Amino acid sequence: MSAQFDRRRFMALSGLGLGATALAACSGPSTSGGSGATAAAATDWSKVKPAAKISFMSSHPGTSQPIEQTLIDAFQSANPDIKVDLITGGSNYEEVAQKFQTAQAGNNVPDVVVASDVWWFRYSLSSTIVPVDEILKAVNDKTSDYNTTLYDDYKYDNAHWAVPYARSTPLFYYNKDHFKAAGVPDRAPKSWEEFAQWAPKIKAANAGQPGYANAYQYPALAGYAGWTLQNVLWGYGGGWSKEWDITADSDATVKALQWVQDTIVKDGWAGVSSKDAVSDMTAGAVSSTVSSTGDLVGTIKAAKAKNMNIGVGFLPGGPVSTSPVCPTGGAGLVIAKKTSPERQLASAMFVSFMTNAANTAQFSAATGYMPVRTTADMSSVISKTPEIQVALDQLKVTKSQDYARVFLPGADQEMAKAAAKFMNEKADVKATMTALSATLEGIYNKDVKPKLKS
Amino acid sequence: MSWLDASSAHAATEAMDEGDDGGPDQGARPGPGAGRRGRMKPPKSGAARNGSRRRTAGKYWTPRAKREAWVFLALALPNIVLIAFFTYRPLFANMYYSTLDWTLGSSVATAVGWGNYVEFFTSSDASTVLGITAIFTIATVGGAMFLGLLVAIALNAKVKGQGFARSAVFAPYVLSGVGVGLVWLFIFDPVYGVLSWILRGFGASSPQWINDPKLALVMVIIVYVWKNLGYCAVIYLAGLQSMPKDLMEAASLDGAGSFRRFMSITLPLLSPTTFFILITSLLSSLQAFDIIRIMTRTGNGTNTLIFESYLQAFSTYNRAGYSAAISVVLFVLLLLLTGAQLRFVERKVHYS
Repeated sequence: MSAQFDRRRFMALSGLGLGATALAACSGPSTSGGSGATAAAATDWSKVKPAAKISFMSSHPGTSQPIEQTLIDAFQSANPDIKVDLITGGSNYEEVAQKFQTAQAGNNVPDVVVASDVWWFRYSLSSTIVPVDEILKAVNDKTSDYNTTLYDDYKYDNAHWAVPYARSTPLFYYNKDHFKAAGVPDRAPKSWEEFAQWAPKIKAANAGQPGYANAYQYPALAGYAGWTLQNVLWGYGGGWSKEWDITADSDATVKALQWVQDTIVKDGWAGVSSKDAVSDMTAGAVSSTVSSTGDLVGTIKAAKAKNMNIGVGFLPGGPVSTSPVCPTGGAGLVIAKKTSPERQLASAMFVSFMTNAANTAQFSAATGYMPVRTTADMSSVISKTPEIQVALDQLKVTKSQDYARVFLPGADQEMAKAAAKFMNEKADVKATMTALSATLEGIYNKDVKPKLKS
Repeated sequence: MSWLDASSAHAATEAMDEGDDGGPDQGARPGPGAGRRGRMKPPKSGAARNGSRRRTAGKYWTPRAKREAWVFLALALPNIVLIAFFTYRPLFANMYYSTLDWTLGSSVATAVGWGNYVEFFTSSDASTVLGITAIFTIATVGGAMFLGLLVAIALNAKVKGQGFARSAVFAPYVLSGVGVGLVWLFIFDPVYGVLSWILRGFGASSPQWINDPKLALVMVIIVYVWKNLGYCAVIYLAGLQSMPKDLMEAASLDGAGSFRRFMSITLPLLSPTTFFILITSLLSSLQAFDIIRIMTRTGNGTNTLIFESYLQAFSTYNRAGYSAAISVVLFVLLLLLTGAQLRFVERKVHYS
């Protein structure tokens, strides 16, 4: 082997030398200086001319690629001097976030990016996006007709960091035929207690069908378990956190999640989806589930194709609280910082256009996401898909999410892991949640607390 | 980035340890049939070439030696530059990042020295992740090699349709891991999967393949073995076909049964093949990513070193520095493993 090894060693060593020189040229993060604060001088937007070309990176939430392209075309014909490239950044919010964050290492970041509830705050902490208040004023968007709850979800450090775009709440979806077969009322249950009465009947009445599994299917753990579980937690008076105080192991929280475990393990009428609970339902395997309003239009379409009747309703309440027990969610649009004032101004024009009253109504009609402006005329949308009315009504009784889920990096993943333990592996709820609390506490102290402004 | 760094880091190990000048993955894997006479064999001309090099390295730079040196540089330099830029640069950058507390996407970071390593090895992450990595690697390498050998023996028989059978066995290996993962998800899905449909036929209900962490690990192991079995089988097959017939005949004449012949002749003579497959599949198993990522997105129960490194940086944690530290751990592990194999395991290899 010796001759070969000599050559190899030579190659390795020469590589080492060159590697060291090349290393000097690499562009990593800077370790000197402060936190890259937002102290930059305010731009005088009236002197800025919008750029000729910007890019929009999206995951097309709720299969929205066609409607996004339609709206972009409309924007381009209204502003012939600005061209917008639609970039597919992945199939979910996490993949888009990954691309946006890695793009920061280079010099070509996308201008407008879809950012979900758990991402915009992190971008604002790491200064990769700009606040939208001033710049929207510059493009004559008053922002006063944004739905206040949805817009204020993006408020931090006296500024808004995104505009609401594909905003959703969870909805209770049920198979009307299954409910009818069991002789229970044709509506969503008012409370989880009520559903617990119905569930065994529903399961018994439909168990004969091939492939039937459960009366209720919890959403897949990879699909934001921490988001929908807030409904049960709040109904029991618990939650992941109260502001920055982690309450994931409080008595109320543990009691709520114990109930969740019982529905699967003890009572046996509920299951956990492996991939997508709505698909499980349109496959006829389960009678009900909780899923985003963003799935509404697609689900109704899928059900119709199979001659299945799907109903929707408010999320059920709990023994302590019956309302509000519904979290808001979904995604907004953020404007990247590492570009130029010209591109940022064009981006502001674009986000304002995408979310104006007429376009948010169109977007809502195509997907089921909420209209984000109070001035949006939804009458034609509702006449076509009456179920959207339920989502609109529920929007009035929503609550912003627990800080621990949306503001702690990785918290959603940790919640899903904890849920996997007590939902699938029958682990002790109290012990699992105590461990989760400690983890969340650790993330807060290490990754968030030192970076908070004020 | 650090995930990319990690993978190029592994390419580096491969490149260094297998003497493969081509760098990335594919180069290190021989095509079908390249098997036994792979690069693990000591070159016969070793001594002669050594001699000529010693002369070049001596005191006198004869015009000829100079010219040879220039030719050498002209041929080797492009490669060296490529390796340096795409393998060593990211490798060292990654090592540097592993000493930072750096949120992915942020333009600033704090130096924390060994902090990330201390955190990894003192938290429960280390034992979980290393344990899962060990189980996954041993099961996939062992499983694919054992089954691959059995399949190779079956394919070595002279029967009708063996050409078709050989391609069928090798086919999964060429398929894209993402496609394979998606298709197998449709098989394993407990609600509308094929497997659950078959099980229902027997009145049984499907196990929670995806949601139960232990079963999730079993699931990805099954799929990974299925995909890589063809690779082992084809290389073993090449080994089997270059088996000297005279030895076999002599053994038969001496009254050795087929099992005895296999144990005492075939298996020892296959040892260079086995050694080659062991090194290459160990490296690729430790770097297995596509199937795991597609089938178990949250890494619940399937967070091997490389996937944990990805999750830490890219899923929702965004801890690029910590992730880089994990990939350095993986790099060192690969280096040690391959070094140990070259040093100790190869001694047991027979070259016919």
